[in-house]
Amino acid sequence: MVSVATPSSFPPSIRGCSAPRLYPGLRWRSGLRVLGIESTAHTFGAGVASSDPPYILASVKDTYQPREGGIHPREAAAHHVRVAPEVIRRALEEAGVTIRDIDAVAVALGPGLGPALRVGATVARGLAAYYGKPLVPVNHAVAHIEIGRLFTCSADPLVLYVSGGNTMVAAHAKGRYRVFGETLDIALGNLLDTFARDAGLAPPYVVGGLHVVDRCASRAEEPAELPYTVKGMDVSYSGLLTAALRAWRRSRGAEERAAVCLGLRENGYGAAVEVAERGLAHTRKPEALLTGGVAASPVLREKFQGMASLHGARAGWPPPHFAGDNGAMIAWTGLLAYMAGVTVDPEEAVVRQRWRPDAVETPWL
Amino acid sequence: MEAGRRGNPLALIPRLSRPVYRGAEASLYPLDWFGVPALAKVREPKPYRHPSLDARLRAARTINEARAMAAALHAGVPVPMLLHVDPYTATLVMERLRGARTLAELVEEEPGAARSYVEQLGRYAARLHQSSIAHGDLTTSNALVDERGRLYLIDFGLATLKPGPRDRAVDLHLFLRSLESTHPEHVEEMYEAFLRGYSAEAGEEAARRLVEGVREIRLMGRYREERRTAWGGGEA
Repeated sequence: MVSVATPSSFPPSIRGCSAPRLYPGLRWRSGLRVLGIESTAHTFGAGVASSDPPYILASVKDTYQPREGGIHPREAAAHHVRVAPEVIRRALEEAGVTIRDIDAVAVALGPGLGPALRVGATVARGLAAYYGKPLVPVNHAVAHIEIGRLFTCSADPLVLYVSGGNTMVAAHAKGRYRVFGETLDIALGNLLDTFARDAGLAPPYVVGGLHVVDRCASRAEEPAELPYTVKGMDVSYSGLLTAALRAWRRSRGAEERAAVCLGLRENGYGAAVEVAERGLAHTRKPEALLTGGVAASPVLREKFQGMASLHGARAGWPPPHFAGDNGAMIAWTGLLAYMAGVTVDPEEAVVRQRWRPDAVETPWL
Repeated sequence: MEAGRRGNPLALIPRLSRPVYRGAEASLYPLDWFGVPALAKVREPKPYRHPSLDARLRAARTINEARAMAAALHAGVPVPMLLHVDPYTATLVMERLRGARTLAELVEEEPGAARSYVEQLGRYAARLHQSSIAHGDLTTSNALVDERGRLYLIDFGLATLKPGPRDRAVDLHLFLRSLESTHPEHVEEMYEAFLRGYSAEAGEEAARRLVEGVREIRLMGRYREERRTAWGGGEA
């Protein structure tokens, strides 16, 4: 399932945005192009970023979809190996460049699934070594934030990053993206997907751009009463998942089942938005950025927007292709890091499955 | 008082002016409570939550906060005096502290002076825990120092009155993270000061258990470098 995003399909926001103005401390260099490779989970993506408008020249991705069950890391890795050459070739083609026009190769070295990460790392190390290009290490979570900032033209946002593997509230402070809150157990996307799978609603998880839990929930008015767990700025979803599945098994009739979906969704989204609100009130940032795969949910966006407006903050999110995992975000963040002088020796470019975003210095900011 | 006779408890509160503070959880409105300078803490409805979930949470947290504040006072932990509780409008009225600054401001502006307050905070946290209360949102923003230099704990909305070891450890975990995210330069000295106060009050064994609990929570979080899988080595 190859998905291609081309500059002509970008929203107007990115066109009106001056990237150098978002990074006033960075000595901007014109004419640079970076190839980015993403393979942290079930998506293999390649993108090309440029230091001149429109900044993102290409983004191509192919996502592994298991016929049943969840993502098996080995199967995801096998998928990536299969599609990598074609995805990279098409990204370069879309961007209208050859590998020789590329100034650096950026790769997501973590966090993510080990076997999947190693495919991207191997490909990137190979390309860098063979063509003599500098290799730039990129943290996947930081890349989600940077591409989100570009698409929403945000100088300094409070970030809610929600995906299958991550749920965190972060903001830039003192040289790094600091994590203000996160899930203590499973991620929001994982909550929705696991529930959908165990309840027999999925796969497929997303139908017509809407998650099956969102779809099921839309048939209910009143949510079932389920646990809602916020601890300070952290959320916990495992209790909610267990209780929702138990309620689902006990439920009689479509109406009761829809109420369980609505309860799960309301408590899941509500808790994530609440911790984002806590982060926003705490940091007083003027912008709020929603990103990650779950940012594609219109319901979550509406809640996020409502929350931000309570605090006079401007809410934004990248289009779904760029909110979910993609190669362009790695290319873009790699470009920033490269301009700030961050590179890595291919021999030392090992993957880090648990690489936290707050372990990354951000010399481009 | 017309509305008051009809049973609207908020009618007791003179018309609320502009909030002096708009937080994530609630807004604070200054008012005069029968001659006492007071603040009304109002948990306003959140547009991002389903109305029935929202009403349930706001009422429960208001009652919970009032209970925990009373319990904290009994445990010997200063909290602002509670004057009125109304779960229906999710409103608490409490005394307004004079010249109060948050511990977060103090850590940034006068780290030397802040250290002894952080130690005091550790002592208060221990007292809460010994009296079966976990604060639930223990950060440098939720401790106030008034103009007389007295330390108060506030924001008990997420407190637990029957805490397990995990809830107690969450207190230290959140405190530590508020240091890491807001005061990265002062993490170690403030963490040590907190533990010094905690063990002075609750004993070293309790402090050690607390620290161990924090380690466990942190290993639960996503992508901890320290975590190892059942198969041994974690990194590739």
